[in-house]
Amino acid sequence: MRRIEFYFRETAAGIRRNGIMAFAAMSTAFIALFLFGLALIIAREINLVIEAVTGNVQVAVYLSDPVRPETVTRIQSELQDLTGAVASVQYEDKTEACARAKELFSSNPAITENVPCDVYPASFRVTLADTAQYAQITAALSCEPDPTTHDITCTEPGVLKVLDFRDILDRLSAITRVLRNGVLFIAVIMLVSATVLVANTLRMGMFARRKEIGIMRLVGATNWRIRVPFLIEGLVEALVGAALAIITLFLVKVFVVDQLRGRIVWLPLIRNGDVLAITPWILIAAAGVAIVAGTIGIRRFLDV
Amino acid sequence: MISLQNVTKTYKNGVTALEAVSIEIEKGEFVFVVGPSGSGKSTTLRLLLREEEPSIGEVFVAGKNVLRLSSLGGIPKLRRNIGCVFQDFKLLQDKTVFENVSFALEVIGKPKHVIDTRVPEILDYVGLGEKLNNYPDELSGGEQQRVSIARACVNRPLVLLADEPTGNLDPNTSVDIMRLLDKVNKIGTTVVMATHDQAIVDAMRKRVIELDKGKVVRDQSRGVYS
Repeated sequence: MRRIEFYFRETAAGIRRNGIMAFAAMSTAFIALFLFGLALIIAREINLVIEAVTGNVQVAVYLSDPVRPETVTRIQSELQDLTGAVASVQYEDKTEACARAKELFSSNPAITENVPCDVYPASFRVTLADTAQYAQITAALSCEPDPTTHDITCTEPGVLKVLDFRDILDRLSAITRVLRNGVLFIAVIMLVSATVLVANTLRMGMFARRKEIGIMRLVGATNWRIRVPFLIEGLVEALVGAALAIITLFLVKVFVVDQLRGRIVWLPLIRNGDVLAITPWILIAAAGVAIVAGTIGIRRFLDV
Repeated sequence: MISLQNVTKTYKNGVTALEAVSIEIEKGEFVFVVGPSGSGKSTTLRLLLREEEPSIGEVFVAGKNVLRLSSLGGIPKLRRNIGCVFQDFKLLQDKTVFENVSFALEVIGKPKHVIDTRVPEILDYVGLGEKLNNYPDELSGGEQQRVSIARACVNRPLVLLADEPTGNLDPNTSVDIMRLLDKVNKIGTTVVMATHDQAIVDAMRKRVIELDKGKVVRDQSRGVYS
């Protein structure tokens, strides 16, 4: 108890004494961790969009109404026979399609309440084993792209049309990659500077208190007794940065994302849970900053 | 209590501070180490504290070979048994007299009730019982040195090392400080004092070890400065 009290008193004194440097270290850690969190949220948002648009399948084969059970079995086996091209085939009946649409448009009651369930078509949701073999599917179902609308219509009985999500998937994941990697790149640079700044703060703190440290060594304080207050100081600075970053991400969610909610009907948006889900990663990054900074910062004082 | 066996210390820059020095000091002795600047007095004290390692030879303090101590636990433990007093007092200006002394116990993890009894006790012992809450810059040089002696003794060390403790003090104050060191010695603490102060050495008539250019040139009980 007494030891903990000692550590925290020393840490608080250290941060106070070293105010401007500590502030610089904290704000850099804050910006770095905020950008890091932002990168994760952007990736999460785009994944939501991909899921909403494609249901995470690459090709959808919609069936025309009324759906007959024998049509379902026939087309299912036809698709499953294309072993080189198809990895998995999942049947989604009209009730399931309706449930998924309701969830997708859950922020827009105008749609979920007014659109009757039977307008959503049943479909086969196909994951491709080899995206290049897509043509096998259209060939098996005797489909042709319509030259004017680009819809793929099929002559196979019972099949309404085929939707090819490969292109949109590719484009969305390219956007994700560029956005996420760009932000991550800046975040990494900022994290490195945050680490260096925290390390430098610790070092300056040790320099400012070299007289105390000298006396501590002389009267037989252990290495850890001397270093721990500085390590806690680094940890506190990183964690304050992390707390500010998390708060700011929630503010972005409330004041930016929530303002868009409902304006673009088809667009799913991140929710509090999504922001909450990335906070452990921010805390881990903050701990990483503190550990590396601590190791660098107190290296000079390693020997008794 | 203290034993230097054939110790040679050569610093990285090639200067040899001590050469083949052997010294034995018994428990409870009071020893002056004298000699001109650069004769190796400070190096001797630094070797006892394990702030330096000997290049050749061995150093024993309280039965322990200081070279064998680990920096994790052994060296701090050694230093808890050695009190140190310096010419420049080395007091923390932003702490009161009480805090300066309690700091020494606090940083080695002594519980509060020990600090609250021992610190007033030792400050009373050195004659500063009335000045617990003063800051160092409110004290005279002699009083500041008393605080530093109190800090060195508060953990009841076996050995007290004093490096020119009277170097910054006028002759009368020096005599007071020497009386105090003698008092500390009388309760069983081994005292090793490096000094230039001829008058004091001559007045005390204690054992004198004279160093010159890193060698022991004289070791005399009840000796004088030269």
